[in-house]
Amino acid sequence: MKLTHADEAMAAAVEERWLAAAAQTGPAQRAAAEAGVREAYRLAGAPEPGRIYWFGSPRAGAAAVALLSGAPAPGPAWFAAVHAGLLDQGWTPGETAGASLRRRVRTEPWAAARKAAVEALGADGWAQLGAAAGRRSWGLMMDLVAGRLRLRLGEDLAADFPGDTGRPVRTPVLDAIYGQHDGAWLSTFEAADRLCPDAGLMTGLTGLAQVARHCGWWWANERAAVLTERPETLARDNVGRLHRGEGAAMEFPDGYGLWAWRGMPIPADLAAELPTLDVDRIRREENAEIRRVMLEHFGYERYLRESGARRSGSDETGTLWHLDLPGDEPLVMVEVVNSTPEPDGTSRVYWLRVPPRTRSAREGVAWTFGLTAEEYHPLIQT
Amino acid sequence: MYRQGDVLFIPVEPAAVPDCGPVPRDRRGRMVVARGEATGHAHVVGGPGLRLLADLDDPERMFVEVPAHGRITHEEHGPISLPAGHYRVVRQREYLPGTFRPVAD
Repeated sequence: MKLTHADEAMAAAVEERWLAAAAQTGPAQRAAAEAGVREAYRLAGAPEPGRIYWFGSPRAGAAAVALLSGAPAPGPAWFAAVHAGLLDQGWTPGETAGASLRRRVRTEPWAAARKAAVEALGADGWAQLGAAAGRRSWGLMMDLVAGRLRLRLGEDLAADFPGDTGRPVRTPVLDAIYGQHDGAWLSTFEAADRLCPDAGLMTGLTGLAQVARHCGWWWANERAAVLTERPETLARDNVGRLHRGEGAAMEFPDGYGLWAWRGMPIPADLAAELPTLDVDRIRREENAEIRRVMLEHFGYERYLRESGARRSGSDETGTLWHLDLPGDEPLVMVEVVNSTPEPDGTSRVYWLRVPPRTRSAREGVAWTFGLTAEEYHPLIQT
Repeated sequence: MYRQGDVLFIPVEPAAVPDCGPVPRDRRGRMVVARGEATGHAHVVGGPGLRLLADLDDPERMFVEVPAHGRITHEEHGPISLPAGHYRVVRQREYLPGTFRPVAD
């Protein structure tokens, strides 16, 4: 099957809605999510879970699964709060959740739907559809958000529960079903289902899809399911990376959060310091990675001005600035005036960091497009 | 070559265009060269018979095939007319010690 432009546009619209669900913040729609869980169990041929527990973050969810698997109770305060949360929701210590159903609920229906979709659309049609409704959301949600969250959660649990004795608390991370973030792949199947409505491509996935529209990460076990809230805050930069300077870039209602600057996870104490930085503090920082985060947050141009940078030439493309950084490569930036004036008639100035050996503004701007100064000659620019 | 904000269109010989497939249109049926994830603003190409193509081996490498004439538009930048020909699309990047990252407006 070959997709028409209209098919691709339809697929892109489906993907857009799933991307919105994946980035959705605010309280879960609990009743709808629970109905989705029951349907997912039914479709997997498993009895409905006897209990459904709710928690405020994936960290709390993983801990609840650990406690429901017989992990010992002592741990940090947040872990004790999860223990209390389980008791509040009617759990009797000793009562276990049973074996994981992740494979039956998520992996197998996905594999069956994929096989059916390739048969219905052909390998080429499936690849074309994947490009139209999947590749972008995978990169934006799984790589830049869910993957970061999973990595950070694993590290945080390893810090709180180190060694062999901590293993039961750490393993549930591997068993999480990604809820809203599963939209990154569900979009491709929903678009396929619209193209081939008679092939039943979504039949096995409707429960998973309903949960994905209404809550965060969740865990499916034989006797109990653990569901979690979506984040209250999700802050990303213009290319979709987790990014925020004055608080956690991703924060859940129970306080669990992930601090990040342009996708790079940062320790909370550094984040707390960012709003009050000055040139001296940045200069004293010995860790180059951390200093880079500080510089970006402070603003390169402000730093250049306040620290006595050298203006090392200018031409029709802009002005080149140079500043030596002790123990690091020099900071070299081109100051460029935007070609299209703003609505009020002024021109926006922006700054681009270029390699330290750059000798002219033209060479710097050319480098940003992968060209040499001689090669770079735009006929028209707007 | 033609530049609209953070995107540069460099003329290339037809022989320099690798094996390509069409880039899927977005939900509004547009051929989008690059998009700002925060603003939703996009560099869009169009024109009679114009095709936006991606290298099969590297979907991030894009080309534009313009049989007659084309046009590049963006919410914040002036439109640009493209004469017939083949173009390689280059997204602006920024230096980071040891690596670089794309710029997006």
